[in-house]
Amino acid sequence: MRADSLQPGQALEPHVIESVSPEPMKTMAAILDDPNPIHYDAASVRALGLGERPINQGPSNLGYLMEMLVEFAGSAERVRRVRVRFLGNVFAGERVECNGSVTSVDAAAGTAELAVEASADGRPVLSGIAVIGVD
Amino acid sequence: MPETAESDYAHLAGHRFPGGSYTLAEHVSWLWADAIGAAPDAAMAHPSLAYFVAIRSSGVAITDVFELMGATADSGVLMGEVDMEFDGMLRPGATYEGEGEIAAIERKRGARAGAFDRLQLRFTVREQGSGAPVLRCGAAWIFPRAEA
Repeated sequence: MRADSLQPGQALEPHVIESVSPEPMKTMAAILDDPNPIHYDAASVRALGLGERPINQGPSNLGYLMEMLVEFAGSAERVRRVRVRFLGNVFAGERVECNGSVTSVDAAAGTAELAVEASADGRPVLSGIAVIGVD
Repeated sequence: MPETAESDYAHLAGHRFPGGSYTLAEHVSWLWADAIGAAPDAAMAHPSLAYFVAIRSSGVAITDVFELMGATADSGVLMGEVDMEFDGMLRPGATYEGEGEIAAIERKRGARAGAFDRLQLRFTVREQGSGAPVLRCGAAWIFPRAEA
């Protein structure tokens, strides 16, 4: 990706998960060794008064957002920095949409800074910045 | 803006995790990519694995941090923020050595969230046999606290 191909304000192609599946949450719970039952047991989510469906792991939501960056930058190697705040939960069955835009390009440093965010059924769930490497 | 006060756990600031090493197994890299809908890559791990590799290579588990903070799986702990800086890429099959610490703990109270402790963690990760960091990672977790 060339620096002169990017302009501030340029939007990234949105990355969309039409319906978050509860099955990968079980895989993530095992990998992360995360004992929180809200990620794999709907009954626990109900008992805690958090809703009716399993809640996605934060690292998975982050993964969707970073996949948008990998697709935009052309390679995982070009992702230099990601800083995001977690603003809300993502429930199984929800539609997640990740968006981003170029905020600045530093050709001398070989980097571009982006504003990034994700929403679940229209609610904000992630917001932050990212830096990618450019030629 | 949340009010800030001293946490009952403030004494943990500066606590260093034991450190250690973690080998990013090929199947873990594959399963992680598959779980987030990315194409698994045998040569390059998905960068979102960075947070997980940072924690595991520092010799700490999520449950260890919960225990330090007097929390359990049912305490409603949330991720607040993550900041990952990459100086290289993560590779399936590679072994990583990490250092980590509790950087800060603040008791806050928000109008909607009530009282909570914001735990700030900091990690540095190197690929085994290499001196330079491949990853620096900060993370904030939110621990809800009952009002006194």
